[in-house]
Amino acid sequence: MKLSFTRASLSSVLVPLIFNSNLVRPISCSSVSCSPASAKPQTPLFLRSPTFSATLSDLKKWQDWAKTLASSVGSSFLDSDNGPDATLLQREFNWLIEDALEHPKTIGITDNDKKNMVVTLRADLEDLYELWKQRIEERRPFQYIVGCEHWRDLVLSVQEGVLIPRPETELIVDLVGDVIKDNEGLREGLWADLGTGSGALAIGIGRILGSSGRVIATDLSPVAVAVASFNVQRYNLQDKIKIKQGSWFEPLKDVKGELMGLVSNPPYIPSEHISGLQAEVAKYEPRLALDGGSNGVGSLLHLCNGAVSMLKPGGFFAFETNGENQCKFLVDYMETETEGCFRDAKIISDFAGIQRFVTGFRAQ
Amino acid sequence: MSSITLKRSYSRSSILSQVHNLGLNYITCLLSSVSEPQSHHFSPSIQKQPKYGNGYHFLRESGTGFSSLFMKTLKISYGSHWVTFPTNYYVRQFSSHVAFEPSTSYGLTVDGIIANNWTMLDESESDWKSHASAIAQSIHLIKKRLQWKKLIVRLEILSAQLNKPDLWDDPVRAGKICREHGSLMGKMKEVKGFEQELLEHIDMIKLAREENDADLESESLKALLRMRRSTKEKELEALLAGEHDSSSCFIEVQAGAGGTESMDWASMVMQMYKLWAQHRGYGVTVVDEMSGDIAGIKRATIKVDGEYAFGYAKAEVGVHRLVRISPFDSGKRRHTSFAAVAVIPILGDVSSRVQISESDLRIERFRAGGAGGQHVNTTESAVRITHIPTGVTATCQNERSQHQNKASAMAVLQSRVDQLEMARQAQMNAQHTQSLTEISWGNQIRTYVLHPYRMVKDLRTNYEVSDPDSVLEGDLDGFILSFLSASLDKDEDYL
Repeated sequence: MKLSFTRASLSSVLVPLIFNSNLVRPISCSSVSCSPASAKPQTPLFLRSPTFSATLSDLKKWQDWAKTLASSVGSSFLDSDNGPDATLLQREFNWLIEDALEHPKTIGITDNDKKNMVVTLRADLEDLYELWKQRIEERRPFQYIVGCEHWRDLVLSVQEGVLIPRPETELIVDLVGDVIKDNEGLREGLWADLGTGSGALAIGIGRILGSSGRVIATDLSPVAVAVASFNVQRYNLQDKIKIKQGSWFEPLKDVKGELMGLVSNPPYIPSEHISGLQAEVAKYEPRLALDGGSNGVGSLLHLCNGAVSMLKPGGFFAFETNGENQCKFLVDYMETETEGCFRDAKIISDFAGIQRFVTGFRAQ
Repeated sequence: MSSITLKRSYSRSSILSQVHNLGLNYITCLLSSVSEPQSHHFSPSIQKQPKYGNGYHFLRESGTGFSSLFMKTLKISYGSHWVTFPTNYYVRQFSSHVAFEPSTSYGLTVDGIIANNWTMLDESESDWKSHASAIAQSIHLIKKRLQWKKLIVRLEILSAQLNKPDLWDDPVRAGKICREHGSLMGKMKEVKGFEQELLEHIDMIKLAREENDADLESESLKALLRMRRSTKEKELEALLAGEHDSSSCFIEVQAGAGGTESMDWASMVMQMYKLWAQHRGYGVTVVDEMSGDIAGIKRATIKVDGEYAFGYAKAEVGVHRLVRISPFDSGKRRHTSFAAVAVIPILGDVSSRVQISESDLRIERFRAGGAGGQHVNTTESAVRITHIPTGVTATCQNERSQHQNKASAMAVLQSRVDQLEMARQAQMNAQHTQSLTEISWGNQIRTYVLHPYRMVKDLRTNYEVSDPDSVLEGDLDGFILSFLSASLDKDEDYL
């Protein structure tokens, strides 16, 4: 309980960061099952209608300016806090073009007599200058600039106040895919994704479950609930995935002991490490989704304890952790403190070779 | 699969158009043999046993295949008269047993035309002998490129297999045989159709002259000219008769030794291929790119999507050499740099691909650093996949999610492993293109000189142009076609 109180107070401070209302046209709330809190999801750049325009030559001026700005970064961000280097920023810029132009290929036209050609845009050219400046000079995350993150085969809407889903976390969907492959009970059962953020895990799993499989996703943050609902709606999974606002297991009281699966990417960074994080993370991403308390394992232990009563016997769980120490700590905890409750607890590494996930089953 | 379907439907449509031509010519012939144009109705019996015109003895050759009859009412203009009558399209199916040699009423065959060695005048000269000679020449080249004799032998083998009662016990194999048989039959029918059409036109001209029919003569001459152009196009297409030529492909470029200057050269070469592919209307996607420290690229892979991408691009495999004054040398000295090019087909036929099992793969995060997870916000999500049994690796970093990077890298890996397997099976036959690791830096295929003079020269064909800029802007077709023709002509004579 102490935990959820801290989280709530943090979220109210940290959620409204940079919010350029000129650039953002909120989508109508009626089409999405919005949370009681008045958080409105923003429409990602690539989904906005192309109602702006610029001449090809003006667009190219912007491109030249942006590329020069990106290359001026060199490896300075990389050297200072492991941030993006010039090459990566150039690539991000190409993706910005992809999202901002109705026909991205037009910017590649080199004919001199076409320079007055009108190109249709999804944002005002002036705003595009501003966005790229925010990316380089203020280090606003690229995903917040374009309002989306490509994750697995999904394109998820994200905005300030919602954690940008990480590539490592994609693997949890593969782990779930492996266990449901020849287990009908898991495939057709009820799953939960706690601290869902953008809804990434819930949607990833919702898309691979069988026709009776369902997912309940919870998050304490109203912004996260709004964004996750928007994403669920966009993939037309509203009949399969329910988004509920609340702390961890709280919104799941009525399904106690019925979960066939439980996944979570809870905040796990030890508080003392937060200030040293790369600028994109420390300055912009919600602390609520990152800060795991003094040793980072508070939420993980809470999940572990909750799993004992929430999971059905034979139910599967997968948690993301900070690395080797937390993984070992968690497995050790399960073997001693909750002895006999879980079986086959396993540590699984991500593609960088870091021990990242703990998986296992609720014992019969 | 789609490319196969496309090819098949393509050859079918071209056969139909031939049939159309045959029908028209037949009608024209009948019309010209009666003294005046008139409405004419064929009786059913005539439909079954068409009246053979002079020299149309080929119609009797209905072969062992089946023949079909198309009924259609056709309205054609003949002189000042409009004549409406039902036409019968007598379609000869060519069996794989081709024993006859079509000839004109005067006994002239296609080979005979070539042997006559008629002077070949320009298209604009309305000289039927020039047209005929050019067409015969094109047909000859098409046959040569199809490896005609081998094709006939192969067709016989396939027909024999198709007739076996146990064919469908192995449906995958049966499907393959059917597809190959259909495709070869299509090619053969097309060529045979050309030969007959040519001879008919010649007959028609002779007939017109005997009858003093100027209209008919000029019509036939025009038809010959049209045919001269279309067979010339077919001749180019026939360059691409290799098993995987119709596939899409990956093009890979790697910088040679020499630091920034050669990395810059590698990126110029890559740019040349991107432009070439765009001009040809192919889809181009960058799959993997390792930038140089100051300029250019160390290595890059692009995917080129479209029909015959591999067939053309395979002509570019080898080492490309650049001579210029390096913009990266403050002393303004002349430098020689190298870039190696590899081309890998993307096999469309899933059944011919190597089965890669998941447990044989090692997947690693590319350029991973630090604690990862929630600590890091990066849009860099590239992975490197290693196929442990072969040691083949692939990387993709240009997709926006790790999942997609992994899928793209997997596609590259699959094609590289397939290529390795093809090499193993084919023992370096003509179908095999070398991978980057196999290309020796001594294997130079082309030199680009920007200083002291300006020239691009292909060392294999001696084809050269004096405008390197146009070549670097992707104008490569001259080089590619001359290489493809030369490499086929070098093969033993199949005719």
